[in-house]
Amino acid sequence: MKHKRPYYFIAPLMILIAWSITANLGIISPLFLPPPQTVVLELTHLFVSTQIIPDIAFTLYRTIIGFLIAGIIGIPIGLLMGYSDKIYHSLEFIVEFFRSIPATALFPLFLLFFGIGDQSKIAITSWAACLVLIIHSMYGVRLGKELRMKSANTLRVKGFALFQKVIFPEALPQIFGGMRIAISLSLIIVVVTEMFIGTSFGLGHRILDAQLVYNLAEMYATIITTGAIGFLINKSIIRVETGVVHWNGK
Amino acid sequence: MSAIELRKVCKKFEQANKQLRNLRVLDNISLKAKKGEFIAVFGPNGCGKTTLLNIIAGIEKSSSGSVRIDGKCPALAKVGFVFQNYNESMLPWRTALGNIELAMEGQKISKKDRMRIAEHYLKKVGLSRHKNKYFYELSGGMKQLIAICRAFAYDPDILLMDEPFSSLDYSTTRKMELELLNVWRETAKTTIFVSHDIDEAVFLADKVIVFSKRPARVKGIIEIDLPRPRKLEMLSSKAFIRIRNKMLRLSEYET
Ligand SMILES: Nc1ncnc2c1ncn2[C@@H]1O[C@H](COP(=O)(O)OP(=O)(O)O)[C@@H](O)[C@H]1O
Ligand SMILES: [Mg+2]
Repeated sequence: MKHKRPYYFIAPLMILIAWSITANLGIISPLFLPPPQTVVLELTHLFVSTQIIPDIAFTLYRTIIGFLIAGIIGIPIGLLMGYSDKIYHSLEFIVEFFRSIPATALFPLFLLFFGIGDQSKIAITSWAACLVLIIHSMYGVRLGKELRMKSANTLRVKGFALFQKVIFPEALPQIFGGMRIAISLSLIIVVVTEMFIGTSFGLGHRILDAQLVYNLAEMYATIITTGAIGFLINKSIIRVETGVVHWNGK
Repeated sequence: MSAIELRKVCKKFEQANKQLRNLRVLDNISLKAKKGEFIAVFGPNGCGKTTLLNIIAGIEKSSSGSVRIDGKCPALAKVGFVFQNYNESMLPWRTALGNIELAMEGQKISKKDRMRIAEHYLKKVGLSRHKNKYFYELSGGMKQLIAICRAFAYDPDILLMDEPFSSLDYSTTRKMELELLNVWRETAKTTIFVSHDIDEAVFLADKVIVFSKRPARVKGIIEIDLPRPRKLEMLSSKAFIRIRNKMLRLSEYET
């Protein structure tokens, strides 16, 4: 574990060096790619002046609410689809169909139903994350070891008890894998909706605004902030995951 | 009435490749086990031993023939099954104690009694101090002992064990066998123990049924008249070696 730390920084450092060289030597015009020091300065400014804080708060709020709704709906549906062939066959078409359509293509539909406020941003996010969670939860059940079910069956552990004591815990590692993908996807969708559906706060909104006025330093500073947030929420899920599914891979 | 009675049990499997003929696995297997008897089924890999246990447990259907457990059909009997692959049959998210408790959760037994019974069996096999370890934290031998405790804690009509020690090394296997006999002696459950290890079959059983290569037929039945409790010294006794040689002769020359 201790030796992991230095490796963490190798790739980012290399990108930083390449970026610094190309931008500072003028290989790429600063109009398109400002040098790192300018972006770091801008980043500091955004945080010191607290300008960016409401944007972070709104983006996080939408991401987390969207993700939670997706979990409440998607995980039970996925588990049921994995458990019962009848439910699987009745929903398979819909899930596979919508899974191939980018959620962002459905903007107009969501705007129609949920208006142009936060509701439609959260709804689209939930939709996309929900499909991911359905599929992972379903495979969690389907990939469960048949022998574990059989052996619980020989002990007359059946019905809901079987589901609660064997099938659900067995699906948990897959569900967590799905949650990590879903939370990253949620953040992406929220940022995109903030760019295209009117709002006064949000990282996506700030990225687009900066782009429109060619303030590329601010744009990259905001993009870096978004990436850092994605990294941190992913890490926190992994933390919970290693605590909950401690048996995974053992 | 025999505790277990199989009459002319046959089993054929359809092959995934439809052009191939059905795979004959069990060929007219008849056997009887008296109440409290420990029977070992000895046969080469792939001859159909696991299939036989699955049929006795009611997990799989025979193609023909009949199976009776205390006169009942397998679906109505309480069958304790110890599977070969403990990593896929036990619950890694539970502790040693929790895994044994599972055997009693499908029955009307209070939490207190479940704990008491589980701890009793843990003590019997000498694993009391590991009771709160997660299943994955135990060694292979310990895991299989927990699986055995689970089967006993279920309080079954009969016990089926499918090469439970086949993945363990020689000396661990011998140790586990002693522990198994130690628990078994207390309850004297009617047991069918499948093995492809000659020493194991002779050391544990009252009676060894020798199977042929696939499709499995009963090649012979050997009574083991070694006294109980069995001791490790017996492995090198004259009587043991005599029985062992008899079994070798019986199993080696395929007809
Ligand atoms: N469900 C099944 N479908 C088809 N063939 C099977 C099935 N189960 C077992 N077999 C075949 O039956 C034979 C006997 O298997 P098994 O009972 O597991 O042998 P053993 O336990 O003695 O090693 C093997 O050749 C195996 O491939
Ligand atoms: Mg087998």
